[in-house]
Amino acid sequence: MKRIFGILSFVLLFPALSPATVRVVTSLPDLADIAQQIGRDRVKVDFIVQGDQNPHYVEVKPSYMMKLKTADIFFIIGMELEIWAPQLVDGSRNSSLLVVDLSRDIRKLEVPARVMDASAGDVHRYGNPHYWLDPRNIHIIADEMVEALARVSPGDEQFFRANADAYIKVIDGKIAEWEKLMKPFAGKKIVTFHQSWSYLAAWTGLEVAGQVEPKPGIPPSPTHTTELLTLMRQAKIKAIVVEPFYDASAPEQIARSSDAKVLRLSTSVGGVREAKDYITLMDYNLQSLAAALR
Amino acid sequence: MLRILLCLAVCALLAGGPGAAAQTTLNPDISAITRFLVETDDGEKLDQGKREFSKPDLQFQEMELGLQAYLNPYARGDIFLSVQGPDVESAKLGLEEAYVTVLRGLPLDLNLRAGKYRVEFGKLNMTHPHGWAFITQPLVEQRFLGEDGLNDLGLSVSALLPTGDVYTRLTVDVLRGLSVPPAAGIEDTTGTKPLYAFSGRLSSFFTLDDFRDLEVGLSCYTGIQDPYNHERFWYANLDFKYKYRPGTYTSLVVQGEFLLNRRSASQNRQFVPFLNAAGNPEVKTITSSGLYLFADYQFMKIFSVGARYDWAEDPYGADDRASAIGVFLGYYPVEETLALRLQYQNTNTVSPGTTQSVNYIGLQLMFSLGPHKAHPF
Repeated sequence: MKRIFGILSFVLLFPALSPATVRVVTSLPDLADIAQQIGRDRVKVDFIVQGDQNPHYVEVKPSYMMKLKTADIFFIIGMELEIWAPQLVDGSRNSSLLVVDLSRDIRKLEVPARVMDASAGDVHRYGNPHYWLDPRNIHIIADEMVEALARVSPGDEQFFRANADAYIKVIDGKIAEWEKLMKPFAGKKIVTFHQSWSYLAAWTGLEVAGQVEPKPGIPPSPTHTTELLTLMRQAKIKAIVVEPFYDASAPEQIARSSDAKVLRLSTSVGGVREAKDYITLMDYNLQSLAAALR
Repeated sequence: MLRILLCLAVCALLAGGPGAAAQTTLNPDISAITRFLVETDDGEKLDQGKREFSKPDLQFQEMELGLQAYLNPYARGDIFLSVQGPDVESAKLGLEEAYVTVLRGLPLDLNLRAGKYRVEFGKLNMTHPHGWAFITQPLVEQRFLGEDGLNDLGLSVSALLPTGDVYTRLTVDVLRGLSVPPAAGIEDTTGTKPLYAFSGRLSSFFTLDDFRDLEVGLSCYTGIQDPYNHERFWYANLDFKYKYRPGTYTSLVVQGEFLLNRRSASQNRQFVPFLNAAGNPEVKTITSSGLYLFADYQFMKIFSVGARYDWAEDPYGADDRASAIGVFLGYYPVEETLALRLQYQNTNTVSPGTTQSVNYIGLQLMFSLGPHKAHPF
């Protein structure tokens, strides 16, 4: 009888003693990696957009709604990068889902000074949302994540905080390494396909001289391509950065007519084979840039 | 002068200050999608024994104005107003859809929709025609659901069923019952009395792998086509949509539906009574069906090409049937804000005593402005 009582007590008390698992879904795999670093074994992390997929255009699939249906937290980049997210949240029918926009405390770049319309292309009215490509912003992202995770699982706050601090320390070490790598190229000009690299350029001191897209989200036109080619020849630009999900035919045509190289860099984990997590993503991108600009 | 300056200053503050942004946030999303069409076919003079294409004419097809917003944290409202062509001068603004959807706060995570809306019957019926890959409506939809599709006043409840990781949704509707054409025909004599119809759809979505998805659905609908004789009809519909997307700008969609109709009728669509061999009125049980199947292949960011096969009998008899084969090309120069669609279709109609084959060519121009909510998978 005593044994049975003991077993019953253990079974009943065990859930209270064991750490809770917070179910996290992120829009991007990069955020999933950071959430995993902070939550370790006390989170179950999934994400929506694959690394080689354009995060601006995601089909509203019921399978994504199912991911959110059982989630506690949905971390998004915000600033209207994930314009598809509200439909997924509504479709999930999860009324207790905590949707966390990680851009709240980010120092935003390229915020339009006036009300923009479609004549300017797909301009994000709250500014350029690709802020995760400046690793200094990982501090802010991690702090937001700790706060949200602690809201769902208050007992684990110290655990999450300690993991976040440890991860930030690693990131700080890598930032020093990456800054050293990129220092010789400060002031060098590059061309990008889309305005995804503004934060990375602002951090490393690179100058984005132009885009293959005449305006954000608008396909390359012959006139713009000719103008860009002239600019690249005059400024002796060596690199055209293209994400894996964009058609590289126009950049390759420009590269053939100039002394530049097309670099397939990824904005997200999984976009290229080498980018297995956020650190290896940045390693790959920066080493590729450094090699091309040398 | 001072008053004018003060007024101007207040106006400037309201227009450009923080208030402007706040107003924008509270306003609904407004979108407009307009379609124009140039079409020709060689069926006009067939009864005179001549086969020649009609003179192509640029027609206004439709302008759809969408107003969409959250009403509060629990519900959203969607309104779609439509101006139908081709007569631009006498075209009137009509109500295509206007409904409220309660998304949160209901037991069992139910969703509730009330108003006038495109009923969740089959797959294509839920998509506005501007979202189709082709120009013409499939024959089965045209014949059994009508040119505007199944779009009715009603109340809809939907639930997600506990099927693990598979998304399975059950939707049940109580409708006013005046949407399906035969009933609408009788509406002229019955006024606008509700006839009540019921609809339901069970659908499941399967992720086959990273690149392939499949949705299958089973729908049913029952309504009254003749309230005087209490004649009821039943539709059962099986639909599927398969999508293979190996790359950002490459995708293949294969979609099809099969509709089965069963009805008791004492008269045909033209209100001619059915008579038995002895010449006495009789109630017939009619079974007929129809289907469509299409494939649409996007091979570049701006181009897609596809083909569709249609086959459909008549709701009032299997001896009147039609089939069609069509090919279509889509060109989307700048995302989906501007689209051109070209379609060729050959339609064969067989009815007692007559057989007809008509060739159709259509070119559609469509432009879209404003934030129109994406149609889900």
